[in-house]
Amino acid sequence: MMYETSRNGVAGRPGHAREHLTYLLMLAPALLLLGVFVFVPVVLVIAGSFYEFSLTSEDGRFVGLGNYLRIAGDEIFWIALRNNIIIVVGSVVLQVGMGTVLAAILDRGIGVGRTLLRTIIFAPMVISSVAVGLVWTIILDPNVGPMNAAVTGLGLTPPRLGWLGDPTVSIWVILGIATWQYTGFLMVLILAGLQSVPKELYQAAALDGATGLRAFWHITLPSIRNVLVVAVLITTVGGFKIFDLVFVTTGGGPANATQVLGTYIYLQAFNIGDLGHAHAMSVVLLMIAVVLGWLQLRVSRTA
Amino acid sequence: MDTRRFGATSLVLYGIAGLWSLIVLIPIVYMLMASLKRRNEMFLAPLDLPSEFNLSSFERAWGVGVGTFMVNSLLVTFLTVVVIVAVSGMAAYSLSRMQGGWPRFIYLLIVAGFAIPLQAVLVPVFQIMSGAGLLNSRLALVLPYAAYGIPFTVILFYAFFLDFPKELEEAATLDGCSRFQTFIRIILPLSGPAIASAAIFQAVFIWNEFILALLTLTRPNLKTLPVGLMELRGEFSSDWPAVLAGLTLATLPLLLIFVLAQKYFVRSLAGLGK
Repeated sequence: MMYETSRNGVAGRPGHAREHLTYLLMLAPALLLLGVFVFVPVVLVIAGSFYEFSLTSEDGRFVGLGNYLRIAGDEIFWIALRNNIIIVVGSVVLQVGMGTVLAAILDRGIGVGRTLLRTIIFAPMVISSVAVGLVWTIILDPNVGPMNAAVTGLGLTPPRLGWLGDPTVSIWVILGIATWQYTGFLMVLILAGLQSVPKELYQAAALDGATGLRAFWHITLPSIRNVLVVAVLITTVGGFKIFDLVFVTTGGGPANATQVLGTYIYLQAFNIGDLGHAHAMSVVLLMIAVVLGWLQLRVSRTA
Repeated sequence: MDTRRFGATSLVLYGIAGLWSLIVLIPIVYMLMASLKRRNEMFLAPLDLPSEFNLSSFERAWGVGVGTFMVNSLLVTFLTVVVIVAVSGMAAYSLSRMQGGWPRFIYLLIVAGFAIPLQAVLVPVFQIMSGAGLLNSRLALVLPYAAYGIPFTVILFYAFFLDFPKELEEAATLDGCSRFQTFIRIILPLSGPAIASAAIFQAVFIWNEFILALLTLTRPNLKTLPVGLMELRGEFSSDWPAVLAGLTLATLPLLLIFVLAQKYFVRSLAGLGK
């Protein structure tokens, strides 16, 4: 095999084998890091989901699909999954929707003040979710927060148990906080797509009488279809991965009402110590993430 | 176009964008304002401006170690970004120059890593770190953060290196440069824009990462900002101005850097959709 390749032209250049070795050595650190911290853990989680064990015990007991049957019968797992879906659907509608509107306004709607508005709207993206969660926790606090005072001032009644303490509203409040933080990011993502739409398209459309909103529907939206799909996929993955905001604001409470997969896996693994249960839920999260990630790469490659 | 209609339309458009900017700004301004308040003012007059310019809450927050947390975050972020750029740069360069089917396979394998969320594999990553005796060391963050930053950075660099003019590299080879020397002396110095995009994108993620830092670092002198901020809330259970002062100290520097260098932030994050 070696002789074969070295006999034909290019590959047979002196030093070819050495060059090949250099390439392999340059690849090695990346593959090592990915192997140890990404691929091996994935295998361990999948394998571990068939065993019952705790964080402290050395080896577990094989239970087959037992852990999966347990999560299927676990009411809180379904609450968590439902909450993830609320966050995902809500985020797609609010963040991608508002992001598209704002991007279109900044792209062609207005002239003066574009950079200022873009800077302000994007800013929450560089604040950590922990800080965002803490600031909002204080703003929404029933005793010291300005939100209750403002709502009462308007003649309305704030939720009696607090914005984050009322199990029927708290998940929606978290959705609101997430929207506050991420809409600017989606605006910038979509804006980049809009700016690559050739200006001639708009000129041609204007000749046919399509301006303003009609141009937006018939020219703008179709031309940025791929960017919008990527935006929806990124938001969807983000909604399934949400952890920090929930952990900081409600910790999954009250009474598990705002539990999401991320916080519930954390609770089962590190507070309750039921790793089998945590692993089975992690596999569900992994499968969702892999399918969405695969879709995202497919779309962006054809973009 | 009729100027009167144009006026009304742009009023509505400015109105929408202005309203959203206001929604974004109010909590940030509130954080700054309330951090200057006294503790009883928070209860008595939640909507009022602080009665005097009072920095004592900042002193209390600083006393808990916000400065240390910030230095820790800086160190971890800087080290990780260096590792990510170096490791991904080498990998992407090799993959973009190797011929045949299996380099393509390795590229796809690395790209597949992009889809794996850290949240889903937290337990084994924690166990690996614990087994290696790396808990409470900065490596417990640097190595996993680097691993999770590699896929996206390799995708970015790979596309960049494929478009790189071949003539420069051929000239370097004729001058007797080895492959590695060519990469260090020719490719890297000319990859500034790609490196900047990758570095900023990863830095934002690393600076803000919370769960892994919460799990692996328990010694106060090693904690990063997000974990330290949670600490702050525990420490001052009802001293809200101090918590807000800590939050201000933690977020203001990054907001200022962002305002000054926003062009680069925006460019690096916008690249995701392409």
